[in-house]
Amino acid sequence: MVNVEEIRDYAASLLEKEEVKAVLGFRRGSASAFAEPCTITEVGEAASLVWDPTCLNNLALYLVKDRKQQAVAKTPDNRPVGIVAKGCDSRAVGVLLQENFFKREDVVVIGVSCEGTGVVDSNKLSDKLKGKTASRITFSGADDINVSVYGDETETVIPAQEILADRCLECRAATPTLHDVVFGDTVEARDFNEPFHAAKEAESASEDERWATWEHHFDRCLRCFACRAVCPMCYCHECVVDSTTFVVTLGTSAEEKANRIRWCERSANTSESAVYHLTRAIHLAGRCIDCGECERVCPVNIPLRLLNTKLEKEAFEMFEYQAGHDIEQASLLSSFRDEDPNSFIR
Amino acid sequence: MEKILNQEKLREWVDMLDDCEVYAPAFADSVWNYARIEAGTDIDLSHTNTIGSVKEFVFPQREVFFRFEKKDGVPVLTSTLPDPKPTVVFGVRPCDGRGMPRNDTVFNKEFEDPYYWARRNKLTLVGLACNQPHSPNCFCQSVGGSPHSEDGLDILMTDLGDRFHVKGITVKGVEAMERGRDAFDAVRDGDQTEVEKVHDTSRSFPQRPLDNLDAIPKAIRESFDSPLWADMAQHCIGCGICTFLCPTCHCFDINDEVISPTTGEGERVRTWDNCQFPDFTMHTSGHNPRADLGSRLRQRVSHKFLYFVENHNTQQCTGCGRCITECPVGIDIVAVLERVSQ
Repeated sequence: MVNVEEIRDYAASLLEKEEVKAVLGFRRGSASAFAEPCTITEVGEAASLVWDPTCLNNLALYLVKDRKQQAVAKTPDNRPVGIVAKGCDSRAVGVLLQENFFKREDVVVIGVSCEGTGVVDSNKLSDKLKGKTASRITFSGADDINVSVYGDETETVIPAQEILADRCLECRAATPTLHDVVFGDTVEARDFNEPFHAAKEAESASEDERWATWEHHFDRCLRCFACRAVCPMCYCHECVVDSTTFVVTLGTSAEEKANRIRWCERSANTSESAVYHLTRAIHLAGRCIDCGECERVCPVNIPLRLLNTKLEKEAFEMFEYQAGHDIEQASLLSSFRDEDPNSFIR
Repeated sequence: MEKILNQEKLREWVDMLDDCEVYAPAFADSVWNYARIEAGTDIDLSHTNTIGSVKEFVFPQREVFFRFEKKDGVPVLTSTLPDPKPTVVFGVRPCDGRGMPRNDTVFNKEFEDPYYWARRNKLTLVGLACNQPHSPNCFCQSVGGSPHSEDGLDILMTDLGDRFHVKGITVKGVEAMERGRDAFDAVRDGDQTEVEKVHDTSRSFPQRPLDNLDAIPKAIRESFDSPLWADMAQHCIGCGICTFLCPTCHCFDINDEVISPTTGEGERVRTWDNCQFPDFTMHTSGHNPRADLGSRLRQRVSHKFLYFVENHNTQQCTGCGRCITECPVGIDIVAVLERVSQ
């Protein structure tokens, strides 16, 4: 079992020794039974850190945010940042390192092993409770998750396998591969679902069925862009689907601004939302580390992870490539091997 | 008009509204949301609250203002003013109902928006009182509402277990009830007492408190330059969830969407916009007066609890709690107001 005191002590010591300017972690919040992200900068705050299957967020996003802020700060503070990272989160750090977003010495990865379980899927939980809110979620061991339902005195015991996120059930690396320290036991053997299980299942439907499914989902999209905003890999200053030119300098001509090509209209309708989601999926091919954040944050629960894992499956099957697993490896889209399949060249 | 409707007669009433489009909450894709009801048997009022609010019925995310094209080199405009069928929405929670008069003010006070009112005039809202809060983030009472508020609703239903107490509040509401004819029974002795008891109980559940609501505008004004905003928005991801789901957020953008550049065909479209997006305030020069997430959080909160109060004498928040519950990183408007007020 992960002893949260060890994480707190480690975070406190990093701050005390001034090895980091801040530690990104999880704490209990006022908004829900799920943990919320926190950035601690004082030794005393380390006591508020928590660790359990409600720590859903991928905090690597905040490493990206910090880098962006420091890049434009008058007096940038580029001291290292500590981050509490699950296996998937550590792969996000890995991809960011591969893409030279920051250097290895800029980050202290406080790895936490999911120990063969994972995190709770809020949609699966919602299905179990038919939309009711969980007021408390506790983990009783390897098999069960106890959920107290708001407005109801009783506690429901749900087998972990039924409400863990799909990515956790399919996880191949529950222990952070990239780390400076790891808490919790290394658990490799997993007997939940095979890798890419959900993607394979979705692929097995006929083309018409698949189109009907995605048409249904794209039609429901609100274009709140939470999926893009939460993704640590979606770090572009200006996105192809934005309707405005964000990167404006004194040299940007009026014409350039006025004539910005609109690849995607602002209207939230099936065609525009399809363009948005498919473009985003393609831009993440070979980069998505399957933290499932896009799917988690979606207010209307579009199963976005399926799009990304489908492409990661392609990357794995065609190029034996797994995003973020090896920071020494060149990234998929910037490398070429003689044995790479080239059937598309005719 | 007050009537009693047995649980099993609800379907009959819905079926008698067959010349209307009827919507009711449905649980699909792991979430409650309004869906078109084809028959009374489809209705299920066991919902918590819907993810989308009723504002979508009067202020859809995409509204076409007019179509344009070029005919013989001359631009031709075609009106697209909506003419919807009468629409009845069941299961509206009182917080969403209270959102409606606030939206009416916005789309009426300085300019009567014909698109909004074309839809609004055909819309009947059938509310369902909350016998108990369905989320720990409910705070309707803290912003002057109540779990059985009639404000903005045409009808208020109260669940009495085996039957509903149904109260027609507006002319539209009474008309919709009259269409139900025999489905309803008369109110009998004791029903009224029972309704009051259920309402009293519903108000007794603890909700997220907002101490001294009247002092909040001043507190926000005084903390305009406070570093608190940046601190509270530290983990904000800048998405549009809080405002898009809000029953009273109404900011929009207008764009021309060209369908065919050769014929010059296209549509002028109003779409939802969002103060949390960077392009909301971005100037053509590249300067953005609200460049950081702290200033955008301040704007969202100020609009609801300061500017709207100054302009319209009421908060632009009805305590539905969606922005809290659905925030991916736990930003909590009640906690924000507490901190600003300290």
